[in-house]
Amino acid sequence: MSGELISVPIDVYRFDPSHDSAPRYQRYTLELPRHTPVLSALLKIRTDLDPSLSLRYSCRSSICGSCAMVINSKSRLACQTPVGPEVERHGRIVIDPMRNLPVLRDLVVEMAPFWGRYRKLEPHLIPDPNRPMPVDRENPMTPAEVERFKTTPRCIACGSCYSACPAVEHDPEFPGPMALAKLYRFVVDPRDGARQDRLVRIQAEGLWLCLRCHLCTESCPKEVEPSERIRDLKEMAIAVQGGTEHGSRHAVGFKDNIRERGILNELKLVRQTYNPLEALAQLPQGLKIARKKPETLHAPRKIEGQAEVEALYVALDDSKETP
Amino acid sequence: MKLAYYPGCVAQESGRELDQSTRWVAQRLGIELVEFPSFSCCGSGFVDEANSTLNVALNARNLALAEKAGLDLLTICSTCQGMLSLANHRLKDPAVRARVDPALAKIGVAYRGSVRVKHLLEVVTRDLGVDAIAKKVTRPLRGLKVGAFYGCHLLRPAGEVGGESGEEPRSFENLIAALGATPVLYRGRVMCCGFPILFVREGTANRIAATQIDDARAHGADALATPCPLCHISLDSFQNKAAKAVGHALDMPIFHLPQLIGLALGASPEELGLPRHLVATDAALAKIGQVSVPA
Amino acid sequence: MQRHDVVVVGAGLAGQRAALAALQAGRDVAIVSKLHPLRSHSGAAQGGINAAVGKEDSVETHIYDTVKGSDYLGDQDAIEFFCKEAGPTVVEMEHFGTIFSRADDGSLARRPFGGAGFPRTIYAADRTGLALLQALWEHLGQENLTLYEEWDLTRIVVDEGRAQGIVAFDRRRGDLAQIAAKAVVIATGPAGRIYGRTTNAHSCTGDGVAAAYRAGAFLKDMEFVQFHPTALLESSILITEGARGEGGILKNAKGERFMSRYAPHVLDLASRDVVSRAIFTEVREGRGFPGDYVHLELMHLGRERIESRLQEICDFSRNFAGIDPVTEPIPVMPAQHYMMGGISTNARGETNIPGLFAAGEAACVSIHGANRLGGNSLLETLVFGKQAGIAAAAYAEGAPTPVLRADDLDRETTAVRAMGDRTEGEEPQHLRIEMQRTMDTLVGIYRNAAELKQALAQIVALKVRYEKVRVVDRAKTYNINLTDALETGHMLALAEVIVAGAIARTESRGAHARTDFPKRDDANWMKHTLAAYSPQGPRLSYGPVAYTRWEPKERVY
Repeated sequence: MSGELISVPIDVYRFDPSHDSAPRYQRYTLELPRHTPVLSALLKIRTDLDPSLSLRYSCRSSICGSCAMVINSKSRLACQTPVGPEVERHGRIVIDPMRNLPVLRDLVVEMAPFWGRYRKLEPHLIPDPNRPMPVDRENPMTPAEVERFKTTPRCIACGSCYSACPAVEHDPEFPGPMALAKLYRFVVDPRDGARQDRLVRIQAEGLWLCLRCHLCTESCPKEVEPSERIRDLKEMAIAVQGGTEHGSRHAVGFKDNIRERGILNELKLVRQTYNPLEALAQLPQGLKIARKKPETLHAPRKIEGQAEVEALYVALDDSKETP
Repeated sequence: MKLAYYPGCVAQESGRELDQSTRWVAQRLGIELVEFPSFSCCGSGFVDEANSTLNVALNARNLALAEKAGLDLLTICSTCQGMLSLANHRLKDPAVRARVDPALAKIGVAYRGSVRVKHLLEVVTRDLGVDAIAKKVTRPLRGLKVGAFYGCHLLRPAGEVGGESGEEPRSFENLIAALGATPVLYRGRVMCCGFPILFVREGTANRIAATQIDDARAHGADALATPCPLCHISLDSFQNKAAKAVGHALDMPIFHLPQLIGLALGASPEELGLPRHLVATDAALAKIGQVSVPA
Repeated sequence: MQRHDVVVVGAGLAGQRAALAALQAGRDVAIVSKLHPLRSHSGAAQGGINAAVGKEDSVETHIYDTVKGSDYLGDQDAIEFFCKEAGPTVVEMEHFGTIFSRADDGSLARRPFGGAGFPRTIYAADRTGLALLQALWEHLGQENLTLYEEWDLTRIVVDEGRAQGIVAFDRRRGDLAQIAAKAVVIATGPAGRIYGRTTNAHSCTGDGVAAAYRAGAFLKDMEFVQFHPTALLESSILITEGARGEGGILKNAKGERFMSRYAPHVLDLASRDVVSRAIFTEVREGRGFPGDYVHLELMHLGRERIESRLQEICDFSRNFAGIDPVTEPIPVMPAQHYMMGGISTNARGETNIPGLFAAGEAACVSIHGANRLGGNSLLETLVFGKQAGIAAAAYAEGAPTPVLRADDLDRETTAVRAMGDRTEGEEPQHLRIEMQRTMDTLVGIYRNAAELKQALAQIVALKVRYEKVRVVDRAKTYNINLTDALETGHMLALAEVIVAGAIARTESRGAHARTDFPKRDDANWMKHTLAAYSPQGPRLSYGPVAYTRWEPKERVY
């Protein structure tokens, strides 16, 4: 299975805060079979070339979550990324520490902010005081109920999603994809008594800062699909409480908006999302845009067949089942 | 080539220059755009958050209209592309079908699932091919360094765009090169523009837009081009605010995909609606020897 | 200096469960771990956790299967206690939030495992360890626990005949520190990385077991090393026994289902020692595939079943071997997997040193005897982790204030600094590789006197060379080159104990198979090996095996 060796140039981010004034990249070149995981390559560097290279690793089988790093600009597990395709695509392998977390040394980052945002969401079962757990036996749970967790139980908390997430990068209030996927896991747990509270709370605590860019889902080594679960949380949050935040008001407003004409009335959407004062604050920018694009001041046409759209709303939105 | 033309809401309203330039380019490239005045909004990702079943149903109706006409569907917006593809994908799930189909039946619509949803980028780079485009170039965009800005929903969560990897796409860059310009590779090209939270937390959205523009500039870009009018709103219409959020000037012209193609095919700035941009494209146009027209 | 009532070293399932028990008893508790708790190797356990909760099953059969699986070296009183605790333990973990797989009636789903009379293994797809680890950590997160994360244990301080605390290396700060404790619980897991071909994580280096050994604790039955029959070729990544539990079958290069020759009744689901020896024999006798391996076939189970119940296995095979188990057989070979031996304890986790406790794979109660049954190790971590925590908390309540001496720390600091100050000497990773080669080739599935003696000489020579081990990395923070050196020292000490015990035990029992002594010898060897540290090497003595109701019989599967 080894096959022939290929030459693998690896540029590794190196930084020791006690000695270095700035980070640098160090080039190592190895001869390896193409299916060699990047982690094995890094360990080979440590054994054969440079024992001073520092990184976190443990299981080498994508279950402990230690070796998340940025490999050719993508956040992923080193143990699960073979060198061959990287070299073929990029000519070399550039390895950086995870993004959005301070570097402690080389590829080792400070994980405390990651764990902190997760811990804040009370990631543990909160039993319903009115529904005590059965004595001496398990809570019943059907296979269908287990299905509702989707792939969230596969999360290994490696932090790849956190590293890839632009909302994390730009907004300290966003809990991060992993934390929200975890929250989803508790929200759908039939044993958890805090479903409602969790959904109400998260609306105000960053749920709507998700950009749905799906970079978390792309980066996840375990197919947890955090962005899909965040979407589910949004829909569930709206179902229990309606639009309470800008984000949910915008989503609900958008949905109601296109019901009227079948296409978006941009001007009206501003009023559906913002309160009058906030809308007023948007006025200067609105006028700036309208100078170039005067049609933004008028409502659009109504599509042909708007009645069909209306009928879909009647069937699927007016009497909506709780997700 | 004949396709059901799905312009999306923005191209019919604040982003009319996108519709305008699409029509110009389609005509030159021999793409017949079949109009469907009954297409509804794709939901833009927002309806999906509020009511995912409704969102699938709305798009299934759109898809069914194209199916009935025996046409594949052309989008010119990454988000429309993403939402219509997502509906196609979700409709493979029998549980989703069970909820959506009865509602569709009430309006006499049935969707079999046969319509392919294609973005203009795919049609141009894959169906026509960049070589064929290159042959039609009359005004090569020589000297212009352009960063592609794909827009999330074109790439994710599908993970593929026009048959290539969504993680490492190259089709847009290949097209830019075929038009005679120099493609700029930068991290932000596959990142988020900030638009989805422009109305949730404007400051954060602005900073995200500014980050991508700065990144592109640091890699030498003179302009960006995007296949998504929502990215265009964030990057162009709100660029002044993005600049303010990060405390420095940005001055990055943002082209819609068909505008860039149109320029290389000889269209005038007016024909492409360039004067409608909030960020002037003059500096970029000057680089290719095109005299700008006052707005 | 930090002080706590109870210091637990290791944050896997055993350590966390011990900490929880001690916290619930009202003690001030800290966990010292070289990994974040969620990175612990417990999370890599795949197949499941045994509990005889099925209607047709009984605790009695679980006891019997475990006794038989142990090749009658397990202590039957401890095994009885262990199996009786199984049901309540699994239920507790379910109440903590573990997401188990379920049967249609909503009860816990069970799958058959090797050496078990009934489908007794409760599971969470093929990531049971991860599911338990997440739930326990989430539950423990509500308690007031101190966590020393990424600290390497270097020594357990025993003074005046009792444990006084520990010395550990804080990777981030780059310095040693003392932590005083009335009671110390060792739950640092196994030392599988003594072998090169192992399913264990890189971090499984036996730090706590070696430290306890040096501190004067007995190590029990260390020569019993379990080789898992099905590890992925090359990477040795574990392919769970659950794969055979779900119906997977082993085939040799001639396409034969060879297990029919070795275990005619239960075939592929014989106990692990039996299956590993069978595979090894097939390959040795020329019926393996070129490159020395056999096939594990799942294809006949169908895509739906494979992808739903063996999701991680699918990913492992696809990512790490380029094999799709839905359409192709998985190339497997046995690899070191588990250590039946460990710090000698009773069922309360007590060692021979007052104030020192141990649990989980680091400990040896013994319930696994000469061979562990699949599904019993996750259970062991939780059952005996809890017991050790309870016992440590009770001990700490009445224990005197521990005293640690500053000059003690200085001596240790000097020794560690010396590794970094050397300009000559060997790098730890090279010594480690040599040790692994020795163990892989000479102390494997089949053993004999000549090879074992050769192995002992090599390990002893490596220990001498280790005295001049040299740390090349000059950095203070996250100097994992130093971690390499500390770990290699721990492993060399344990390797010597394994080999010495294996040489002495002139019989074949469970996982210890001597080609020169192929029979079990109950007359002379129905006893536990006990190894005590001495500067000249381990001093071996022997202790009795506890019997209650089960007479030794020949094991047939």
